[in-house]
Amino acid sequence: MNNLYLPHLATIEDIYEEAPDVRSFRLVFKDERLRDTFDFKAGQFALYSAFGLGESTFCIASPPTRKGYVQCTFRRTGRVTGGLAEMSIGDVIGFRGPYGNHFPVDDWKGRNMVFIAGGIGLPPVRSLIWNVLDRREDFGNITIVYGARTAADLVYKNELKHWAGMGDVRVVETVDPGGETPDWKGKIGFVPTVLEEAAPSSKDAVAVTCGPPIMIKFVINALGKLGFADGSIYTTLENRMKCGIGKCGRCNVGDIYICKEGPVYTAAEVKRMYNDF
Amino acid sequence: MADKFLKRENLGRLIDSVRNGGARFVAPAIDARQAVYRAISGADEVTWDYILPRNSFKDYLFPQTEVVAEYSIGEGGVEIRGRELSPKDTVVFGSRPCEAASLASLRSVFTWDSVDEFYTAREDKTTVVTVACTNGDEACFCTTVGLSPESVAGSDVMLRETADGDFSVTAITGRGRGFLSAHSAAFEDSGSGSAQKPLFVPEKIEGVDISRIKERLARKEHYDDPVWAGLTRKCIGCGACTFVCPTCHCFDIIDEGTAFEGERRKNWDACQFDSFTLHASGHNPRDAQFKRWRNRFMCKFNFYPNKFNSRGCVGCGRCIRVCPVRLDITEVMEEMSR
Repeated sequence: MNNLYLPHLATIEDIYEEAPDVRSFRLVFKDERLRDTFDFKAGQFALYSAFGLGESTFCIASPPTRKGYVQCTFRRTGRVTGGLAEMSIGDVIGFRGPYGNHFPVDDWKGRNMVFIAGGIGLPPVRSLIWNVLDRREDFGNITIVYGARTAADLVYKNELKHWAGMGDVRVVETVDPGGETPDWKGKIGFVPTVLEEAAPSSKDAVAVTCGPPIMIKFVINALGKLGFADGSIYTTLENRMKCGIGKCGRCNVGDIYICKEGPVYTAAEVKRMYNDF
Repeated sequence: MADKFLKRENLGRLIDSVRNGGARFVAPAIDARQAVYRAISGADEVTWDYILPRNSFKDYLFPQTEVVAEYSIGEGGVEIRGRELSPKDTVVFGSRPCEAASLASLRSVFTWDSVDEFYTAREDKTTVVTVACTNGDEACFCTTVGLSPESVAGSDVMLRETADGDFSVTAITGRGRGFLSAHSAAFEDSGSGSAQKPLFVPEKIEGVDISRIKERLARKEHYDDPVWAGLTRKCIGCGACTFVCPTCHCFDIIDEGTAFEGERRKNWDACQFDSFTLHASGHNPRDAQFKRWRNRFMCKFNFYPNKFNSRGCVGCGRCIRVCPVRLDITEVMEEMSR
């Protein structure tokens, strides 16, 4: 019997503390064959389980260009993420996926890339950033605008430094007003405003954004002001999901099932959706 | 033309024949003074005095709770085993045409894109024996959604009651023909010649137009129409409508057990609950009851027809009968037909 709900087992090979209550797992499948054959595309998601507590949905935060492992990043908020947060290196979790559509990276060859993320919205974009960096010659200028509530809440702090130091990536970091520390060197302001000030060129560019729903809405507006066409703006919407495969009936925005037709959409598609996310 | 006849007093013979063949016989029986579908063992348990059982027979195809996998965590590490389903042959006797029509809807959800065999394996083993309606109430509205008390969609065998209380029997599908020949000893080749009892045909609700509802729902502007909040303000979000609805399919996936062993289950869930779409961040796309009600209505008259190419509402009226605040879906249908 083909059981859609049966997860793979994956061992936690490493754990990274990203921010208060936010951590990443580097996961390796127990099934050795699957380690070699497992394939996914940037933007896809999976269901991760702490046995006895249940399953939660997060994106795959590692790029498809890095084989042999997958990384996920999550914030401790409820039962399942609380259980996952208490796990140690060597523990085994469940993994179901990859599910959903993906960023059309191949269609973007030769374009300039602008990535805009807020808070825990960076992980899905991280998969894409590394995917693009691993194929650097295929893309033009790269700009990353990233913000969080406070300086402590920024995830992937080391990678942000690494990207900023690469020389050919422009990184703009910001924190919400009041979230700065005395030694904060970045911007202070909300992501959409800071994005407008940073004013990346829309010429031959694709913008990708992920963050809280309200941020996504304002970022799309800001990108519009910068001259980005709705068809060149991509976002990933992550509604609550249980099955990940279009059966359980909760991630829909109107008649669009985020888990099947999404989670990746253009701003043009988002604007056609019911106001329900 | 009827294929066979069933004498009412021979129901016991049919039940025995089905059960002796190893199958389960599900029929309306009285439980807490109401008719419900139940697995039964003898004719004396079956009630004939019902309009529709309180529950839908989806309970037997898509159970309220079911194990999909089992985990154990011990010295040898973590183990996960998928539940292998080998469903029993099941005969649902005494279905109504409205409810039988909902099988195609459930199937459309559980088989689009990927196939959920926990549903299909059960449905593939189910024979639906429908009795055309000679009784009904003011909650019945099958004719308003394009069905009738003698619709055959989803039924394998149709029974029509005769004036003397027996039934003319017609096989609708190949499975139905197989059922009649497998249990031929329970059926007669000819009837008493008694006329068929008149059917109960609910009056089509004036002012409801399904195609107009579809058109209106397809236009995005209706979303912000204050009519939604006005019509559905009294909803208390109990979810009863979803549990008795034969096409409601939403579920949750949860673990039950300890840190050492337990089960992963699929449990019914309801889009009417406030935590159904609640994000981890606290954001909730459907943060008011009217939005949840609007979603359910959209599911019936927009998602099901457009996305799954099947019907979302069969007009059985269960949601009307069971609603504690008398929120009548046909009133909303009427408003949305304007």
